[in-house]
Amino acid sequence: MAKTGMERLQELKKEIFKCIHCKACKFAYSGEPDREGIGEYAGKQGTVLYEGMVDACPAGIEYGWEAFWNAGKIWIARSILTGDLEFTEEVRDVIMPCITCGQCSAQCDNKIPTVDIIESLRAACIESGVPMIEKHELVDRLVKELNNPYGGKAEERFKWAKDAGLGKYVDNKDAKIAYYVGCTASYRQIEVAITTAKLFELLGMNFTIIGDEVCCGSPFFRIGAVDTAQELMNKNLEAFKNVKMLYFSCAGCYRTFTIDYPKWMPEGEELPFKTQHAFELVARLIQQEKIKFKPNKELKGKVVTYHDPCHTGRHFAVDMEQDMIRESKNLLIDSRKIKEKIEEWYEVPRIILRKLAEDVGIVFKEMYRIKLDSMCCGAGGGVRAGYPEFSLRTASLRCDEANAVGADILTTECPFCWRNLSDANDMYNHGMKVMGILQMITEYNLLDMAEKPKEDDFLTPSIRDIE
Amino acid sequence: MSYKLPDDKDLEAMVGIVGKEYATNNKAITASYLAKSVMGLESQIPDIVVRPKYVEEIRKILIYCSAEKIAVSPVSAGLSGGFACPTIKPAGVLLDLSRMNRIIEIDTENRYAVVEPGVTIGELWAYMHKNTPDWAPPIPDGAPPASTVMGDAIDRGFSLYTSSVGPQGDNFMCGEIVFPNGDIVRTGSWALPFAKPFYKYGLGPDIWSTIMGSQGALGVVTKVAVKIFPHPPYKTVIVIGMSNPYDMQDLTLEIGKQEFGIAHNTVMVQGGNYPLVMARWPKDKVPHDYEFFKELGISKWWMNWECWAQTQEELDYVTNRINKMAEDFKKNRAKDPDAVKPQELHPKQIASRLKKPNKIAIPYSFWEAGFLFITWYTPWNECAHFAENYCATMEKYGFPPVMWIASIERCRQAICMPIICFDSTKQSDYEKVQDMNRETTEYNLKQGWLNYRPDPYIHAPLTYSQAGMYWKYLRMVKKMFDPNMIMHPGRLALP
Ligand SMILES: Cc1cc2nc3c(=O)[nH]c(=O)nc-3n(C[C@H](O)[C@H](O)[C@H](O)COP(=O)(O)OP(=O)(O)OC[C@H]3O[C@@H](n4cnc5c(N)ncnc54)[C@H](O)[C@@H]3O)c2cc1C
Ligand code: SF4
Ligand code: SF4
Repeated sequence: MAKTGMERLQELKKEIFKCIHCKACKFAYSGEPDREGIGEYAGKQGTVLYEGMVDACPAGIEYGWEAFWNAGKIWIARSILTGDLEFTEEVRDVIMPCITCGQCSAQCDNKIPTVDIIESLRAACIESGVPMIEKHELVDRLVKELNNPYGGKAEERFKWAKDAGLGKYVDNKDAKIAYYVGCTASYRQIEVAITTAKLFELLGMNFTIIGDEVCCGSPFFRIGAVDTAQELMNKNLEAFKNVKMLYFSCAGCYRTFTIDYPKWMPEGEELPFKTQHAFELVARLIQQEKIKFKPNKELKGKVVTYHDPCHTGRHFAVDMEQDMIRESKNLLIDSRKIKEKIEEWYEVPRIILRKLAEDVGIVFKEMYRIKLDSMCCGAGGGVRAGYPEFSLRTASLRCDEANAVGADILTTECPFCWRNLSDANDMYNHGMKVMGILQMITEYNLLDMAEKPKEDDFLTPSIRDIE
Repeated sequence: MSYKLPDDKDLEAMVGIVGKEYATNNKAITASYLAKSVMGLESQIPDIVVRPKYVEEIRKILIYCSAEKIAVSPVSAGLSGGFACPTIKPAGVLLDLSRMNRIIEIDTENRYAVVEPGVTIGELWAYMHKNTPDWAPPIPDGAPPASTVMGDAIDRGFSLYTSSVGPQGDNFMCGEIVFPNGDIVRTGSWALPFAKPFYKYGLGPDIWSTIMGSQGALGVVTKVAVKIFPHPPYKTVIVIGMSNPYDMQDLTLEIGKQEFGIAHNTVMVQGGNYPLVMARWPKDKVPHDYEFFKELGISKWWMNWECWAQTQEELDYVTNRINKMAEDFKKNRAKDPDAVKPQELHPKQIASRLKKPNKIAIPYSFWEAGFLFITWYTPWNECAHFAENYCATMEKYGFPPVMWIASIERCRQAICMPIICFDSTKQSDYEKVQDMNRETTEYNLKQGWLNYRPDPYIHAPLTYSQAGMYWKYLRMVKKMFDPNMIMHPGRLALP
């Protein structure tokens, strides 16, 4: 039996009641007011002091009222549970413009799973009969009709593959490894799909793209349309049931399959396959010295920075932490291990960037807010669809931060972040190039193979799954 | 006392004063200000929230609300939990002062900073770290960075300098207050239009002292001048462990009583018992047995001396003196000499203890779901008695006996803070907390101990019942400043 949002909210009651309204969750680096930084920078969205704690909840920054910062929402959730507040359109309109970026949960020393709470609150709100906002209703209708929120035709989902000469991988029956492409890379950022599939081909991976793939459901889990999301989940679980390893190029899809599906699947059921992002494979092959990169004159000396997508970064970090907390018998002792595991996780894309610096000659420079404290790109949580101006202003704030370190190229590993950052980059004239790291590797033909990887290399689990 | 339930006309009046972006009765927004934790468990959702930016706006709001008999609860950042929320129904207007966030002046010669209510301790600390690194504000060491200097002033909190320089309330020199009749009063030397805030006790009897500790029940403070202190480069932390609170109390008093040249350098003298470490982790995921903590090198009780000095030589002198006195105490006067021993700290541990402000006191909700600080003042040489009795009572009610104790003004007073970690999802736990609170309050008042930040339901009424004459005059003060009793009614059981 599928769970309702209200049931999830009830399950989270004890977490909600942990909140002491301390507001640490407003800031990045909330415990480090005198952290050294790069100083003040006047960007397109105003002046920000990249030092010490920095306001980092995009919803709070945009709307100002306490209700839009995380702590306010947690107390709204509590008021709903205690009957002090009922779901209304007023409630909906403060809980929807939140990017579910998880900045807040990363800051909370009571380890409150804030994103889980906000998403359950939204689901319970919609279930209670409060209508969705118009733009969310539209994508919900589209996905129900067409299995994707962009209004693309089902038969055109993998047109990019055929056009790029990669058609043989669609429904490649004997492959145990699949590439889940996702809607954004299939219908919008097709360069992400093409470069990822080409990279797999170059590495010699025998993989399949499954023709019955549908939207992963991410936006619908996020906006509270959990019935829709669960229908999509069931279709995907059926489509991918014979696969051993599932690769992703989209942070959101990866997060949804790995974190959301098990949460919403019937009690006791597990995912039938392992999951990982393509960048994890590349980083692993670098560490095993199976691949390196060729020098490139065009890229040499270019300042490259990296935006951690919330869905591959914080969401996984917080999920790993919650898992380890659940399993720990002595958290005082295990807490160091948790920190190390999270640090190791955040290093994965950086292994590639450092190698690119070493071999290609790019200059890799970190922004001020990175890793657990990274600032969101503004696209997630149904915000890009529902509140486009807020979404783009947030992306521009992030572009300001990249400008502050003099970046020529802003990289990321999520087509959705890519889209939003790229749009803000154009709209607000930030003057950078926005691209995926894997896209950079294929587009500039940087791959230099030292030893051909074997099938086992492709089936090696993610470091997330290694104890 | 009866108050008006604000209606749309009242909201319109607020909008007329601050603009429509900054006044609302949107139910989702008003509910988001709620807190039932940290200091107070009972609180109400405000009917209207207003976010003024200027003193003149506050003046108009107060005049209006006073005339209409609408309750007003001022909040700087609201980190005092339930205490920052309205206490009665109709809850009235909550004044969220976070938009008034200017650091107006830092004067390192006269050694003060002037700030507005919304300036957080994190912001002021960071600002001074960058611009006047040799000076630092007396911020509450344990309060989260988002709390404000102003909120702490009105609370008369405990700061990182309190052990050395004296009660935190004494660190606030002058204030600017808007009273409900719209008068703006500047206190101390500030009463004169061109005077610097250099002297607290200006013209005759001091009005400012009545505002300190008023918790929003008298008027709205719109500016405060706070002393700043040297922030020297040489720092360390000494920790001496022991097995019981009496040895902790007696050794600390010996050091504090030295005053000159040693106790003045110990800016923060604070300690506690091992459950203070234990209760920062989930109840079912940390050993409760002391043996585990012993293996980690944690004593049953301990005291930290955070020492600051202008030179390494001075720092060495202070630390050697403290260590020497601890040795001497162990040899000659300790109840349990074998247990008195220095705790070796890794440089990383020292660095983390020196970090200001920090999030150290946040995770007590991790134990179950919610916590309450209940804080008392005792003469220093009675703090062990307090701790022993309170810990036993906490255990009797099924709570972990978490106790934090710090010295104020070189052991003239002790601030003793039991942390009640409980499951706030359970009504039965609330009742247990309140029963325990009542029992301990009755006991403590008999010993002559004072509650600090008294809650309006237990501490304040029980205390006032024993201090009738003071209570009479307190009510007269309230009536004088706030004749319609609109300011944070119920808080401090006033009216
Ligand atoms: C985890 C934690 C740890 C803490 N540790 C410490 C500590 O170590 N030392 C310490 O001293 N404190 C400590 N505190 C308490 C905290 O410092 C103070 O509560 C905080 O400084 C108050 O600031 P605030 O802006 O949040 O005050 P608020 O919560 O906004 O207000 C506090 C009180 O003052 C009133 N008030 C606020 N602003 C005004 C104003 N401008 N005019 C009139 N009345 C006003 C309010 O009505 C309320 O009654 C801690 C709190 C927490 C949550
Ligand atoms: S969610 Fe956590 S960090 Fe945020 S206010 Fe609540 S307890 Fe504090
Ligand atoms: S998830 Fe992100 S946008 Fe939403 S409340 Fe938390 S920090 Fe703010």
